[in-house]
Amino acid sequence: MKPALPMRHRTMPAAAAAGLLFLSSCAAVPAGQPEAGSWEEVISEAQGQTVKLWMYGGDEQGNAYVDEHLIPAAAAEGVNLERVPVADTKDSLNRVLTEIQSGTADGEVDLVWVNGNNFGTGKEAGAWSCGWTSLLPNMALTDPADPMLSQDFGTPVDGCEAPWSKAQFTIAYNSAAVPEPPTTLAGLLEWVRSHPGRFTYPAPPDFTGSVFTREVLYSVSGGYANVPLAFDEVAFDRLTPALLKELEDLKPSLWRNGSTYPKSSSELDAFYAGGQVDFTMTYGPAALTKLVADGIYPAGTKVLSLEEGTVGNASFLAIPSTSGQRSGAMVVANLALSAGQQAKKADPRIWGQFPVLNPGALSSEERALFEQLPSSPVVPGYEVLSRNANPELAAGWVTALDEAWRRQILAGS
Amino acid sequence: MLLAAPAVLVVAFVVVGGSAMVGAQSLGLMPLVGPPHLSTVAYTAHAGDVVGGAGLSLVIAGTSTVLACLIGFTAALVMMQGRWCGKLVAAMSTLSIPVPHIVGAASVGLLLADSGLLARIFGAAGSWPELVGGPWWLAVIFEYAWKESAFVGLVVAGTLATRSVSYEETAALLGAGRLRRLRHVLLPLSLPSLIIAGTIAFIYSFGSYEVAWLLGRPYPEPLPVMALRLYNSVTLTSRPEAAAVAVVTAVVSLAAAATALALLRKIPLWR
Repeated sequence: MKPALPMRHRTMPAAAAAGLLFLSSCAAVPAGQPEAGSWEEVISEAQGQTVKLWMYGGDEQGNAYVDEHLIPAAAAEGVNLERVPVADTKDSLNRVLTEIQSGTADGEVDLVWVNGNNFGTGKEAGAWSCGWTSLLPNMALTDPADPMLSQDFGTPVDGCEAPWSKAQFTIAYNSAAVPEPPTTLAGLLEWVRSHPGRFTYPAPPDFTGSVFTREVLYSVSGGYANVPLAFDEVAFDRLTPALLKELEDLKPSLWRNGSTYPKSSSELDAFYAGGQVDFTMTYGPAALTKLVADGIYPAGTKVLSLEEGTVGNASFLAIPSTSGQRSGAMVVANLALSAGQQAKKADPRIWGQFPVLNPGALSSEERALFEQLPSSPVVPGYEVLSRNANPELAAGWVTALDEAWRRQILAGS
Repeated sequence: MLLAAPAVLVVAFVVVGGSAMVGAQSLGLMPLVGPPHLSTVAYTAHAGDVVGGAGLSLVIAGTSTVLACLIGFTAALVMMQGRWCGKLVAAMSTLSIPVPHIVGAASVGLLLADSGLLARIFGAAGSWPELVGGPWWLAVIFEYAWKESAFVGLVVAGTLATRSVSYEETAALLGAGRLRRLRHVLLPLSLPSLIIAGTIAFIYSFGSYEVAWLLGRPYPEPLPVMALRLYNSVTLTSRPEAAAVAVVTAVVSLAAAATALALLRKIPLWR
């Protein structure tokens, strides 16, 4: 009997390790192709399923759109859609990763509003179901050649998420305080130097602060064409010193002399609303119209148009590999892509998110839905905003730049 | 003993099980991707930031605890007077206890921030002191001191109410003045509960993140904020690092509790 104990001691860690390996190897493989072979089967399987949509909850218009338009429309197709608000999309990804770690098969998350490195990291960890978007009938309304819909921050989409909205990074300013606005990003940085304390940006990894540093990277590199979209160490080492030097030089001219930064874009928005700074920035410019109308933002708020353009991207709906309600989630993703829902979502009075549909693929009635939308006195239309749209860098860049910024600009202070 | 067993078992399962999981993650035994591999990399990856963060957390928790004990003890003395202002202080303390810290932090932020209520009322935009997100973490310390002082005050007042009256009357009859009664009767009587309440307040402020996250600056970070940022990071390798920071936080908290117990043993009243 004596050797039994040491034996068990030796095998226990090995067994545990094997168990963990088994779990992680399960996790690394996306949960396979959808069992349902046709869209009809998906629809019939989806009846009565409850789909939990995890999405950023800090956007009141977005919440209202989902509650008042998407949820009733899903109910009409037999799917109970529930909105789960999160403070950050990372929370949803984290939940899925934790469920993968614990081997959950019917998790709490069925659909996630996601893009960028959250999507990239999740794909790497096998967090998403893949290969299901080709089944969605409404995918025919999108342009298959649109690189914004086939690549998400450099990560191939591979049918792991269905497009939902397009976004355009936008800088807004108070025209009462800035009568002669700059027309390039370099001009903006020049303005900051000559008006100390009137500008700042959120500290990356905040989504908006992070894209601002990438805009500056494009600017100091002489345009986005000079920055390889795919990440590699050589390009990073060659290009980032100029960026970090520029941001370092800018520090004394920032709010509070750059000794600290707002932690989130909502903090920056509050500074702008309170008149602490003259510029704010956002990925969702459509919200500006309502903020000005409600008197939260100064009446003189305008969108800064930059000659070289700004970064544009798309956001998506992804189904986690731990979801047990995949058919229902697919029905919702398909519904969200319909012309009717996309037009409602694009209405600035409802949400004002830019549509992902290809006008050429729409019928004339469907196109009319978009042509009827009112224009905003504050925000120009998407075709104007997205002129010269710059592509997003690969997710590898985002993480590396955020980390370098943290190490050198934030911790170096 | 038998009656307590179910509760002890449940608590032990959560505490021991949870701590073991965190420990295993911090040592690389539960990776999100790749095979498990025993290493201390997670502890050394941000060693400088962890040491700095621990120092910052100690200063924030220490300062706010000292303030909370001073204010709480004073509040308890006022409550013991039993007059209308004592009742008022007791009522205010009771009211602020159920306010969650995150609500307290949000309120303090709305009140004290650069574009907050006070700055707008006084028209001090631009010259407003850097309380929120400032270099001295004043809003964070203020929030903890305010919330925890109510807790300390009620605990100490509870102890004093049951014990002090007869002692104080005797001391007064023997001719002790106010200061003497404070030094020789009230302070020794309330010291054990002051230490216990202070330790709870310290460990709470040391280990919780929401107040420092809402009212602090992005760098340097107190340990809990750092742990949460790393845990939520999109880099898959940073979960063990978050667990390592959490382990460090737990070890410091345990040390604080042990110190408090050692102190209590030296007090005659406790024995």
